[in-house]
Amino acid sequence: MSSEFLLGASGILWGDTLFYLVLFIILMALIKHFAWGPVTSMMEKRADKIASDIDNAEQSRQKAEKLEKQRQAALKDSHVEASQIIERAKTNGEQQRETIVDNANQEVATLKENAKQDIARERQNALNSVKDDVAELSLAIASKVIVKNLKLEDQKELIDSYIEGLGKQNEAK
Amino acid sequence: MGEGANVQTFFGIPFDIGNDVPGLIAAVIVFALMFFLSRNLELKPNKKQNIIEWIVDFTNGIIKGVMPEREGQKFSLLIFTLFSFIFISNQLGLMLQISVNNVTYVKSPTADVMTTMTLAFMVLVLAHFLGVKKLGFKNYFKNAYLSPVPFLLPISILEEFTNFLTLALRLYGNIYSGEVLLKLIYQFSKAYGIASFIPAVPLELIWQGFSVFIGSIQAYVFVTLTMVYISKKVEKE
Repeated sequence: MSSEFLLGASGILWGDTLFYLVLFIILMALIKHFAWGPVTSMMEKRADKIASDIDNAEQSRQKAEKLEKQRQAALKDSHVEASQIIERAKTNGEQQRETIVDNANQEVATLKENAKQDIARERQNALNSVKDDVAELSLAIASKVIVKNLKLEDQKELIDSYIEGLGKQNEAK
Repeated sequence: MGEGANVQTFFGIPFDIGNDVPGLIAAVIVFALMFFLSRNLELKPNKKQNIIEWIVDFTNGIIKGVMPEREGQKFSLLIFTLFSFIFISNQLGLMLQISVNNVTYVKSPTADVMTTMTLAFMVLVLAHFLGVKKLGFKNYFKNAYLSPVPFLLPISILEEFTNFLTLALRLYGNIYSGEVLLKLIYQFSKAYGIASFIPAVPLELIWQGFSVFIGSIQAYVFVTLTMVYISKKVEKE
C-alpha cells in the first residue's frame, strides 16, 4: 500500500497539505464574503462618517462664529442707530415744539390784534349809535320842548337870535 | 492517546482522516463564530460587532507594526483568517478530544506537523510569490539572497528553509506538547484511583489554562512572523 509506505517513510501524507490548503482558502473566501466584507465596510463607513462629522462640526462652528460676529456687529450698529434715532427724534421734537410755540404765539398775537380791532370797532359802533341816539333823543326832547314853548311872542326873541346867528355864520363863511 | 492513523487514499492521494477532521471542525467553528458575530451590523456597533471589530483591529495592528498601512491593507483578510483559524485550532484540543478506535478525531489540528507545515508553506510561498511579483525576479533575488553582501548567499538560502521549519515546528511543538501533557495528566489521574485523581484535577486545570495562554501567544507569533517574512520579501532593504 502506498499510504503505508508514505506513513512508514516519514508520515508525509501530502493529501493533508492539499486538504488544509483548500480548507484554508475556502474558509478565507467564506469569511470574506460573510464576515470580513460587511464588517470592514461598516468600519470604513463609520470612519468616513466620523471624519465627515468632525468636518461638519468644524464648519458649523465656523458658521456659528460668523453669525455671532454678525450679531455682535448688528447689535453695535443697532446701538448706534438707536441713539441716532433718539437724537433725531429729540431734534425733531425740539423743532416741532418751537414751531408749535411760534405758531401759537403768532396766532395769539393775531387773535389779540383782531380782538383789539373788534373791540375798537365795537366801541366806535357803540359810540356812533350812542351819538345817534343822543342826537335823536336831544332832537326829540328839543322838538317836544319846542312844541310846548314855541309861542310866537314868547319865542320871537330866540328865533331872531338864531336867525341872526345863522346870518353871522354865513358872514363868517 | 490516538497514535493510530486512519489513512484513506482518494485518487491516489493519501489523506489522514484523523488530521483532516479536526481541521474541518476548526474551520467550521471559525466560520460559524465569524458569521454569528457579523450579523446585524450597525453603524453604531452592538456587542457582537464590537468583538469582531476588536479582532479585526487587533490583526490590523499586527500588520501595521510591520508594514506601512496602505501596503499592508491587502494582507488584512489573510492575517485575520490565519489568526482566527490558528487560535481556534489551538484551543480546540484543550476543550475536547474524541478518540475512536485509537484515532483522535477531535483535537487541535495544529498539534499535527502536517497542518502547521502546510500553513507555513502557504505563507512563505505567498511571500516569495509577492516578492517576485512586486520587485521582479532579478530584484527579488538580489533583495532576498544577495543583500547586504553577496557572499552570504548560502546562508540566505539556508535561512529560507529554517524560516519555514521554525515557523511550522514552533507552532506544532507548542501545541503538541501541551496536548501531550494534558493526556499525561489524564493518564496520571487514572493511574492510582482516587489518590491520583484529586491532585490531577487542579494540575489539569492549571495546565489547560496555561495552554490557552500558549495557544493565544502562538497564534499571535505565527501571524506576526508571517507578516515579517512577507514584508522582508516585499520591501527593499
